[in-house]
Amino acid sequence: MLAGRVGALVPGVEARRQLADPGLALAFLAGAFALAVFVLYPTVRVLAYPSLQDYLSIPHSVRWVQAARNSLLSAVLSTTTAVAVGLAFAFATTRPDVPGSRFFRAVALLPLFAPPFMVAFSYILLFGRQGLVTRHLLGLDVNIFGPHGLWLVQTVAFFPLAMLVIVGVLESISPSLEQAARNLGADDWQVTRTVTLALARPGIAGAALVVAISVLADFGNAVVIAGGWPLLATEAWFRMEGMADLRGASLVVAMLVVPTTALFLLERYWVGRKRYTTVTGRGGRLERPPTYPPLKWASFAVCGVTSILVLLVYLGVVAGAFTAVWGRDWSFTLDHWRLAADRTPSLWASLRVAAGAGAVTAVAGILLAFLAGRPLPLRRALDFLAVLPGALPGVFVGVGFVLAFNRPPLELVGTPWILILALAFWHLPLGYQAAAAQLQQIDRSIEEAASNLGARGLHLLRDVYLPLLSRAFVEGFTVSFVRAVTNVSIAVFLVSPGNVVATFAILNMIGNGIWGGAAALTTMLLLVTFAVLAGARLVVGRALRPAGVG
Amino acid sequence: MAVHLRLVDVVKRFGATTAVDGVSLDVEEGCFFTLLGPSGCGKTTLLRVVAGFHLPDRGEVFLRDRRITHLPPQARGTAMVFQEYALFPHMTVEENVGYGLRMRRVPAGQARERVRRVLELVGLVGQEHKYPHQLSGGQQQRVALARALVVEPEVLLLDEPLSNLDAKLRLRVREELRELQRRLGQTTLYVTHDQEEALALSDRVAVMNAGRVLQVGTPEEVYLRPRNRFVAEFVGMANFVRARWVGPGRVQAGGIVLRVGEGRTSGGDVLLAIRPEEVRVRTEPGDGGPNLLQGRVQSVTFLGPVRRCTVETDGLRWVVDVQPDVRVEAAQEVYLEVPPERLRVVEEA
Repeated sequence: MLAGRVGALVPGVEARRQLADPGLALAFLAGAFALAVFVLYPTVRVLAYPSLQDYLSIPHSVRWVQAARNSLLSAVLSTTTAVAVGLAFAFATTRPDVPGSRFFRAVALLPLFAPPFMVAFSYILLFGRQGLVTRHLLGLDVNIFGPHGLWLVQTVAFFPLAMLVIVGVLESISPSLEQAARNLGADDWQVTRTVTLALARPGIAGAALVVAISVLADFGNAVVIAGGWPLLATEAWFRMEGMADLRGASLVVAMLVVPTTALFLLERYWVGRKRYTTVTGRGGRLERPPTYPPLKWASFAVCGVTSILVLLVYLGVVAGAFTAVWGRDWSFTLDHWRLAADRTPSLWASLRVAAGAGAVTAVAGILLAFLAGRPLPLRRALDFLAVLPGALPGVFVGVGFVLAFNRPPLELVGTPWILILALAFWHLPLGYQAAAAQLQQIDRSIEEAASNLGARGLHLLRDVYLPLLSRAFVEGFTVSFVRAVTNVSIAVFLVSPGNVVATFAILNMIGNGIWGGAAALTTMLLLVTFAVLAGARLVVGRALRPAGVG
Repeated sequence: MAVHLRLVDVVKRFGATTAVDGVSLDVEEGCFFTLLGPSGCGKTTLLRVVAGFHLPDRGEVFLRDRRITHLPPQARGTAMVFQEYALFPHMTVEENVGYGLRMRRVPAGQARERVRRVLELVGLVGQEHKYPHQLSGGQQQRVALARALVVEPEVLLLDEPLSNLDAKLRLRVREELRELQRRLGQTTLYVTHDQEEALALSDRVAVMNAGRVLQVGTPEEVYLRPRNRFVAEFVGMANFVRARWVGPGRVQAGGIVLRVGEGRTSGGDVLLAIRPEEVRVRTEPGDGGPNLLQGRVQSVTFLGPVRRCTVETDGLRWVVDVQPDVRVEAAQEVYLEVPPERLRVVEEA
């Protein structure tokens, strides 16, 4: 045990041999330095900024206690419904005998491409006071602002995350297990209950943790639709924006990062291990037994209703972009596009920032995945720091970068670089995991053959890995780009007058009631997103999707 | 003996391929019945039709007089041991084995007693509270067997249950399985592609190819009297001699006239089969005798229990086995004695 610890700090024989290669040693230093400066330092800066006194005073602040309580409540409510809906979708999409199975899978992925405020914005247009559906079709007077609106919006926005996790588990359940159960006398419902759902339980728990992190961290939807209902994620921005209260902002995001990190660690180290592996070889070719009819129709109903809600998200925004005055004058117009065109500088700024973030994420991800796969000192620490941003809410990263880089030696506030780097390292886990997955597929014997023929250190990376990793680059770049171009949670803290990005402009337009312009600019963002994804799909040959913390 | 399981003209198609093509079989009570054939011959599909996982496109399945063709799997009284065992990974050994009883709503006390007895039977006492991943391959296999046996099925179905075990363990479990089946008098339908396994275990064997049953019989019958070329080839390797009848009990092949045990007078072509170990090899002509052929050794391979030689005689090639202590070398002149009664007439198809 002790020897192991010491071994991790003092380079062993193998590690020393690796570091003797100057290229590799340099890459190692660069990777470690980048993680220390852009992941570890901002994190520590936030946590250390408030004094102990400030921390101790949290329970006495009515506002913060309320925000914490509200965040917790919305996490419980939205997670429950999002996981329930996600389970229904996972069930429906892994059972070809549920009608519309393939349609549901396609629809369920749509919310993942929407900018993080879009569901809320669209539902205000459709179900709010001036709502097309509530007011003008049903004649109701509904106020969607507040916790109930947020609950609905977060359910629709985050159920796809739950679905993806649960689908992975359901698909790994060998059909032969269900067949064995039926063979032993279990009827359809008993098979579902004692085998399928019982085996999916760890997956459901994992899905709940992933969704809960996203709900807690959700800034975009909350800032648009929560109204006056205080939440931790939005409170940080209100502190900064209104009062320039750095201390309060850092205190709030510190409060937020505790539960998200705890959930993240729980997911990664506990649920991740508890999963039953049921991979048993030849099972895959067998057909699944038919689905228990009541369950089949129940999941069909849930998926049907939810699919309508998902499609409305997109329809609402696009309709808003072409409607003269929402709620009063329903005539067709292109005026909003002229307004949006005035904001094209912000769109260009978004593209620049996103391209920079995508490139940094992809390169850093590949480099770190390569390093973490070799017997180097501190590799577990590297691995941990590379996945840690997945536990950090965007608002935390935003505040962290403000605190860390608003003074020398690295004064970045006011430049576009601060936003690029913040987004790049926030998305690092996506690039890192894409690269690690690719690396695992590269047979070790390929590397051994190369080094046997004389390639060493960085030559290995250049000659063997890079050609094979170009796919990982495209994946890491695309996912990071798409999330960066639609990001609000970090952007609100780091934009400066010369570098206003499109999402920030949209948020301001929504706040000022300029719905048509906001809808038009959002539609343009969506077009950019789908164009980039389509291009990546051509290159990679496979559909990519951005997923993770909001 | 009464017929326990009866298949009548069963056909199962998957898209354009016909996996099972008109199979009729009778399995008697207490019989260990094996479906033997190469992969893709339809044996597993047929087993799954009996289990109820596939509905046949044509034909019927009967258990005694009960027609079960369209019953769902859970209502059939057939219990299956899956090739990959299909143990429930989230249940202990005890829960796995007791699952079928729970589904049948057997009272808990009684169920516990039955689980205990069957675990005793397969030698797993003391492992009740372990999970499948904590067991060795052989133990997992026993749990799968116990889980199927405990429900006292009408017919026990086994789908290549030994294929995931290493060679030594396979032999041991094979013997145990045979012994257990005899003791319980359990009607059993077994699927394998391993001819040795089939011969060692079965009361009756059905050799299948391309969705059809080619021959049904005791292990001795299919081994010693294969009806056609496929069966002869699949159940042990064989020499095939293409010949022409030239008289009663006499055929001509290449430049040689051979005597054949089975007499037939009419002319025409015929296919004869004989196993490598049935041809005797001599270094001296001795006192002659019927079917003594002079030939030259082409190659010799040492296989341990035997030396396998190819010998050429007047345009015919023979694969023959000799005892390892007999010295035979390539290019050596030898005499082959081909016993007429072992030269069997087989069908071409």
